[in-house]
Amino acid sequence: MARAGSFVEADNAEAIITRIEHKSRKIESLLKQYKPVEALKTALEGTYAMTGDERCKSAHWIAVHRALMAIKDVDGMLSSLDPEYYDILMKYLYRGLATGDRPTCDQCLRIHEKLTEKAGLGCILRFLTDTVNTV
Amino acid sequence: MASTLRPYLTCIRNTLDAAMCLQNFPCQEVERHNKPEVELKSSPELLLNPVLICRNESEKCLIETSINSLRISLKVKQADELENILTKKFLRFLSMRAEAFQVLRRKPVQGYDISFLITNYHCEEMQKHKLIDFIVQFMEDIDKEISELKMSVNTRGRLVATEFLKQFI
Repeated sequence: MARAGSFVEADNAEAIITRIEHKSRKIESLLKQYKPVEALKTALEGTYAMTGDERCKSAHWIAVHRALMAIKDVDGMLSSLDPEYYDILMKYLYRGLATGDRPTCDQCLRIHEKLTEKAGLGCILRFLTDTVNTV
Repeated sequence: MASTLRPYLTCIRNTLDAAMCLQNFPCQEVERHNKPEVELKSSPELLLNPVLICRNESEKCLIETSINSLRISLKVKQADELENILTKKFLRFLSMRAEAFQVLRRKPVQGYDISFLITNYHCEEMQKHKLIDFIVQFMEDIDKEISELKMSVNTRGRLVATEFLKQFI
């Protein structure tokens, strides 16, 4: 499995933080080119390989948050996103909803409605039951 | 403000739809006992991830599920001191009559205004989608009730003050 190979590298929290920073720079450049969907895809991929302590999760969340807030066309974004990313996107949406910050919650509520229509209730249930891979 | 109400209620409805998967589960520690696991939180394998859905800084909803019970805690929007008092009094009135509501919890969870506790027995007696409709309808009606109460308090205050001050004209 691709994830098993990257566990060796992922053990080191510093390496994870560096990789997340590298990803953030890529996301920033994609956002400057007005490509929010690609930015979100970049932010979401490889998340499982990078699970670490709270710092890594926070760093990852900041990158995903940046990409999420830049999304304007939700339907277009969801239609171009691969189904394998629905679960991880749902986890980040619930993290966004827990923040309580008005613009974040507005955006997350909007995306959540569309994502549930597309992915179904199973997506929500997979988030509820997954106590191991939290974001 | 109304623009975020619809998505907020839809999100809560979808989450409740997914989270309300309750079944009978006798207590693991004490024999012949049957307790709502979400209240006790004694065994982590019986609990699901709690979900916090915030609409803004002042309104939020916490949904905690376990194998045989589900707890929903709501924090209602309170714009000023008067609404604060009205909300507290009104929701305390409802909570004291929790027997009549069946799914209402007598005391709200710390940090919230009102809480519901739904167990597998409620799901057996009542229909799941009707329970969810009830919760969502309750959330809509609470806002209207509090606004109506506030308006009637202000109107009565104005009338009383006018009448009282007439004697000084």
